[in-house]
Amino acid sequence: MVGAIERRPLPRSLVAISAVVVLVTAIPIIVTIGQAISGGWGEVVHAFQGTDLGSLLLRTVGVALVATPVCGMLGVAGAWFVERTDLPGRRVWALLLVAPITIPVFLTSYAWAALGTEFQGFFGAFCILAVTYYPIVFLLASAALRGMDPALEESARALGCGTWRVFWRVVLPQLRPSLLGGLLVVALATLVEFDAFVGIHFSTFVASIYSQYQISFSASGAATLACVSILLCALILAAETRLRGNAAYTGVSHGSRREPERYALGMMKPVVLVGLTALATLSVEIPVYALIRWFEQATPQSSAGAAAGISDLLPATLTSLALGISAALLSLLLALPIAVLATRYRGFTVSLLERATYLSFALPDLVAAIAFAYATSQYTGALYGNVVILVLAYAVLFCPIAVLALRVSFGQIEPSMDETARSLGLGPIRALLRVGLPLARPGIAAGGVLVFAFVLSDLSTTQVLLPPGMVTLGTDFWADSSTVAFGASAPFAAMLMVLAAAATYMLMSRFGKTRLAGSP
Amino acid sequence: MTDLQCSDVAKRFGDRPVLTGVNLSVAAGSITAILGSSGSGKTTLLRIVMGFIRADSGQVRIGDALVVDAPGTHVAPQHRGIGYVAQEGALFPHLSVGQNVGFGLPRATRRSGDRITEVLGLVGLTGDHASRRPSELSGGEQRRVSLARALAPRPKLVLLDEPFSALDAALRVETRAAVIRALAEEGTTGVLVTHDQAEALSMGSQVAVLRSGELVQTAAPRDLYQTPVDLGVARFVGEAVILPGRAGHGVVDCALGRLALLRPVDGPVDVMLRPEQIQIGPDVAADADSPEAVVVSTSYFGGQTLVTLRIRAGDGLAVTAATSSQDPPSAGDTVRIAVHGGVMAYVAGEVPVPTPVESTP
Repeated sequence: MVGAIERRPLPRSLVAISAVVVLVTAIPIIVTIGQAISGGWGEVVHAFQGTDLGSLLLRTVGVALVATPVCGMLGVAGAWFVERTDLPGRRVWALLLVAPITIPVFLTSYAWAALGTEFQGFFGAFCILAVTYYPIVFLLASAALRGMDPALEESARALGCGTWRVFWRVVLPQLRPSLLGGLLVVALATLVEFDAFVGIHFSTFVASIYSQYQISFSASGAATLACVSILLCALILAAETRLRGNAAYTGVSHGSRREPERYALGMMKPVVLVGLTALATLSVEIPVYALIRWFEQATPQSSAGAAAGISDLLPATLTSLALGISAALLSLLLALPIAVLATRYRGFTVSLLERATYLSFALPDLVAAIAFAYATSQYTGALYGNVVILVLAYAVLFCPIAVLALRVSFGQIEPSMDETARSLGLGPIRALLRVGLPLARPGIAAGGVLVFAFVLSDLSTTQVLLPPGMVTLGTDFWADSSTVAFGASAPFAAMLMVLAAAATYMLMSRFGKTRLAGSP
Repeated sequence: MTDLQCSDVAKRFGDRPVLTGVNLSVAAGSITAILGSSGSGKTTLLRIVMGFIRADSGQVRIGDALVVDAPGTHVAPQHRGIGYVAQEGALFPHLSVGQNVGFGLPRATRRSGDRITEVLGLVGLTGDHASRRPSELSGGEQRRVSLARALAPRPKLVLLDEPFSALDAALRVETRAAVIRALAEEGTTGVLVTHDQAEALSMGSQVAVLRSGELVQTAAPRDLYQTPVDLGVARFVGEAVILPGRAGHGVVDCALGRLALLRPVDGPVDVMLRPEQIQIGPDVAADADSPEAVVVSTSYFGGQTLVTLRIRAGDGLAVTAATSSQDPPSAGDTVRIAVHGGVMAYVAGEVPVPTPVESTP
């Protein structure tokens, strides 16, 4: 982060717009809590009786607790190797380290399940979560490393610190704000994860919420259980806010930036290369390998089925693209005021509004989707079953991701850019349109791509809110894979992987970047 | 005894030579200013001495230790024991001022805090500053803290990279004085890199002028100012009056009369003297030799007034004189002028390398 952020009075209009955004993102939470309350005490007791809450919670929290720090370590280490060392093939590694977040998690799940029975259960769940979510930390840490003034590391070296100690005493503390932001998203995502476990038999707290719906059709029972997960996430948010404290470091030096010197890995080079290859194998090669296997498995009957299904490929692809793009645009729009507020102002109101957007991450996708369906059927009958609601649900669910990406890019733009525009007679909105947004364009695009990838990865929301008659790549893959016709589902998986590859490239080249001359 | 010795240090970036065989030696306890315009290679030289970049060839010695013997030997920066003050200070934003200063100290010393208070005092800050965040300090205070941090582990040598850039004039003078005092009290050798000639002349016990990757002159400030090696250096280190003339037998004849030479030279020359060497006014000895001039314009600079004169005898040749602002002449006055002290002359026709205009960072 660059530039001193003064305590300026908050512009009322920006706060008002942000508050509206927070209200929109809070729709599913409010509806869910309402449902839980309307069920009454009896339903609450019933819901908790029907589940082995303790052991489910233990398992859910346990796997998130193990996977989150591992994601942190993998992401930071990968970012440091790519951005700060003389690692050969850095661009290729950057691509491979970003790729897993764009691969739909249900594909990863089936791919690991296909490896063997040892990946059923806790270990498999941990592996899938770790290899799916570490790229979030990688992206944030890379952006932060690029934005860091090399003079800080040089000064530490001059004071006698070796590479390792520079990392611990200067680099890591500088990464803290973005690392905590990344870990927060990973922790929230893993806590409410469901799609990652569709291939393996690992029942979590969220799975029990799902079965509440499926078995007892009890909306309020499920809502009651979902409140537990809201509570959990609120706790995590509070913990992160506390840990972060004042850690949004405002740079005190913005002298001329130069390319940082890269550390020579020397003897460690083969070790690092082997480690990264192993990681790429686990996170990218396993899904690709599974995909190839599915094509091979295509038996004559299933190819006949596939031929029938293949006619769905084009409409499914188009629907997925349209849904992904419109959801990405809408969530960027929602995220914009929050990101501007969070990067340009400080204070309690700002923290509260920014943190509040993360709460929409706290609801399991299915619960949020049902809340949306319920709300539309109750209050806006005309929109019930309309695809607009699905797009809105996506945008709300993945808004925190967009906020995260925008925050990183806006944070790199010095307030003086804004101030200069203002001094030239532009109002705050025109200054944003003509200076802030164009400068942050690569980062904004990356945020959109990230949301797009999350939409492609989503199964639960889509299944609930997709209007009848429409198909997406995910739902078609799901329909075929659940009848164990993997051969038939292979083309859909392949198309998802192609889109994932495109998204990966966009993310790697744009995330957290700005168009400032000479900027990292 | 020298604390820093650079021998034939050379560096290229791609095809572009940045340093071409730099030789520099810095005496223990002294302050050397490396003066150069942007692109002269001064920062590259400093970074090679620090160890942040590798030289292509040449040697660097710190005290008795050979730290660079390119391309073979390259001691890592953290093992060189050199203090470093980066441009704009580069304070660690996640640490308090005290933690910044104590950063390079062993754990036990860090904990006691005595040395931290001591070096903070050395740069003119109090213990109260220790608990503040770097972002709460003014620009001048940040530079001081950065110096205190560099001095805390008692290095023999401290390198300062444009330490006073982007400070306002008053703060600059004050911070500069604080730096000189602190270095002197610790007995630390200082090498600073700057593009500001006034800063270089006032701070350094030795000034090394770097031009296009080459050290063109290394001398005491006074010698550099009075006897620059060529017109380029002469213009770079201060205001210069340049006139055509003919030299021989230790004197030179020009529009200002017959003047004594500081360095003997023969033939047609460019004469170089400093504006403050030209004395004007009625009290100037009115002998027949002293030429008459008309005041064209004056510019007031506070303590000094620069007077542009047109010499009657010299085909309307214009020169600039610096006089005390107490009683300056007005435009249109006719005055007599005399030259105080010896002047320099350079063989004419040797086109001086133009000094690039320094861009303000």
